[in-house]
Amino acid sequence: MSGAHLEPLVKSASALPRAPKNWRTSVISAIFVGFVIALVWSWLYIDMTLSTVFGGFSDIWNLILYMFPPIFDNFPEALRTTLETIWMALIGTTLAVLLSIPLAFMAARNTSPHPAVIAVARGIIALTRAIPTLVLAAIFASSVGIGPFPGILALGLHSIGMIAKLFTEAIENTEATSRDAVMSTGAGKWQSILTTIIPQITPSSVGTSLYRLDINLRESAVLGFVGAGGVGFLIQSELRGLDYQRAISAVTVIFVAITLIELVSARLRASIIGDHLFSPSKQTPRSMARVASDQQKISTALAGRQLTLPWTYERVLRASVGVSYLVMMVVAFATIDMPLLSAFSLVDDLAKGIAQLFPPDFETAGSELLKGMLETTAIGFIATALGLVIAIPLGILTARNIIIRRVVITVTRGILLLIRGLPELILAVIFVAAMGLGPVPGTLALTIGTATFMAKLIGDALEEVQQAPREGVSATGASRVQEFISAVLPQALPNLVSQTLYMLDVNLRSSTVLGIVGGGGIGFLLISAIRGYETQTVGAIILVIFAIVYAIELLGAFVRWMVE
Amino acid sequence: MLSNSGGAVPLVSLAGVSKRFPNGTLALDNVSLDIPEGQLLSLIGLSGSGKSTLLRHVNGLLRPTSGVVEVNGTQVSSASNRELRKVRRDIGFVFQQFGLVGRTTCLENVLNGALGSLKGPRYGVWSYPKILRSQAFDQLDRVGLANQAYQRADTLSGGQMQRVAIARSLMQRPKIMLADEPVASLDPESSAQVLDLLLRVSIEDGMTVVVTLHQVELALGWATRIVGLRDGKVVLDRDATTLKQEDVMEVYQRVDSSLSNESDIVSDDFASVVPAP
Repeated sequence: MSGAHLEPLVKSASALPRAPKNWRTSVISAIFVGFVIALVWSWLYIDMTLSTVFGGFSDIWNLILYMFPPIFDNFPEALRTTLETIWMALIGTTLAVLLSIPLAFMAARNTSPHPAVIAVARGIIALTRAIPTLVLAAIFASSVGIGPFPGILALGLHSIGMIAKLFTEAIENTEATSRDAVMSTGAGKWQSILTTIIPQITPSSVGTSLYRLDINLRESAVLGFVGAGGVGFLIQSELRGLDYQRAISAVTVIFVAITLIELVSARLRASIIGDHLFSPSKQTPRSMARVASDQQKISTALAGRQLTLPWTYERVLRASVGVSYLVMMVVAFATIDMPLLSAFSLVDDLAKGIAQLFPPDFETAGSELLKGMLETTAIGFIATALGLVIAIPLGILTARNIIIRRVVITVTRGILLLIRGLPELILAVIFVAAMGLGPVPGTLALTIGTATFMAKLIGDALEEVQQAPREGVSATGASRVQEFISAVLPQALPNLVSQTLYMLDVNLRSSTVLGIVGGGGIGFLLISAIRGYETQTVGAIILVIFAIVYAIELLGAFVRWMVE
Repeated sequence: MLSNSGGAVPLVSLAGVSKRFPNGTLALDNVSLDIPEGQLLSLIGLSGSGKSTLLRHVNGLLRPTSGVVEVNGTQVSSASNRELRKVRRDIGFVFQQFGLVGRTTCLENVLNGALGSLKGPRYGVWSYPKILRSQAFDQLDRVGLANQAYQRADTLSGGQMQRVAIARSLMQRPKIMLADEPVASLDPESSAQVLDLLLRVSIEDGMTVVVTLHQVELALGWATRIVGLRDGKVVLDRDATTLKQEDVMEVYQRVDSSLSNESDIVSDDFASVVPAP
């Protein structure tokens, strides 16, 4: 009887109406096929067979065995250089923020004095992002001398690209009525900007700066590879001297520093952006006592018509965060030998350094240049694809709305956090020490970095999906896996595609510098040209790197526009 | 006193003012209007009729495409930035969306009203002179919010926010108060409170007031003169006491009556704001 209801509506497959074709889907499929072809080509190009990968892992394992037991007699030196790494990141980020503020106001449509200024400011912002920090540091180190100073300059200049871009967006997203209102009282342009725009952009700008500080700390840890200060030089020389037991102790110190700072900064960032730094969500006896004492202070101030803000708990906390920052900056400047007095000759040095790169010489490096470029691209593609494959299950394991057991989530997140504590280039330098020079150790290091970063992005993307479609699919009797595939995945897909593209972009940039530590790609050519003072070849290599980065950015923008 | 020509020299005068926006909309169409000192004028009209645009021309937030705007002896329509700032100091402006800086305290928001009389940018309560801080307290007291002085502005209710915004305008000690739909975002009770407050302080300080309102009953309640706009043109200009409901009807009538659907909506809308005779 019930069979009668299940009579198929359409009798044969050929009678099914076809989904209408549109050019967008064909272009997207073409791009997808293109990516697959690029991937296969990359795989063949750097000859990454399963046996090399597994052989590599056993080499790495052997190296790790050599590292134990660690010898900590280099601890004072490791600590000193790690602190130097931290101060470099701090000063570099501060420098970038200071340079970004005027740039952002010039680049934002609602504050810029003129459209031409907008175009110039945006051009500068885009340009600073184009050359990787390590490459900038290598160039500066050869023009102003080795030490932390070129490293700080490199961090400061490169970070503008991200910081100023996000500041600009924050300024453009401010609400305009308050500015109109303040202008209506007869206030001038700068008065109204300071009064109404600054308070609105403060939380997001502080968040951006803290996030960049995290990134810069990782970057700063490897600047020593090109002689630009920090712990990187110590790690690299110990590995080169086959002194593995001491290398691991230096790596441990920087690893602990990065992980701790990331935890603190993530906490601070979440509360600042959420704007609840000072109003805890949970009511504890302590928080309630705090609120009561604040109210007491405020009413005393009001009763006495006190004309200054009372020192509430919130204000004290805010001020102590600011004071701690200032104290750290003072210590940083006292610790690091900054040739501030030579700032004028510095500009001159830099200008000369840049002038030396021209005209770029493509002849000397010749076919090596093309080879390096292809290898760099291949490494970027493979690391992204492999990283994605590893990241998907890890990302699912961190999504609170999919995994029911809290333990699984906590453990996965903990492991990811720990692995993220090791910058990719430090991984790369260790892998190169274990497996020898070549693209495979570099690719593996980049893959691990990609996997941990993507896992977090995937976890976040999955947590953002709407619940209603999931319930709808579950209600039809679908299993949990079916429900995940048909209701969760389609929602998260556009986000995942765009994150993957972003990762590809990041990885191509990273793979341009892998060669600096012997991990394959164009970086090796670059560092040898810098060391050999072949400045015009350096110019050519930088142009090639610029071209790769720019091409992938255009491609990314195009694909995002198509998927939209 | 209520005649349209008013006193000898009008405080605010618009002569043949037209405004065409870059997107082609003609927001004001040859508007001429004289406002004598001490008048309480209410601008009425549908949204999009040009009320807000007209107000923004008075304090120079917008410049006319053609025509002349004169306030207190200064040609606002052709004033330099410096002159403009000087004129604006004498004009309070109250916005529908309050225009408070949410993350700062009420006291600081009120102090922002003094920026026009200060040189250079200011940030934080401490950066204003003590005497101004004391005045800001007084103004907050006047709008009944002295106890909220150290509270963040975004923690207030809508009615309280608008009162802080009024206190900020009072900091300027303005001659003219412009208010653009000051109660459109508020519930009826807060609306009445805010309008009463605005009216009380204006009379106390002898200000000239121009308010745009779309609730006709509110406009009839307290204005001395009603000016109606439709499609950027002045279609009504009357002493409020002699105004009849039919006259007001005319303001809300669409020129294009063939759009029967729309005129239905308009009359529905209208029925809700004007009590049945």
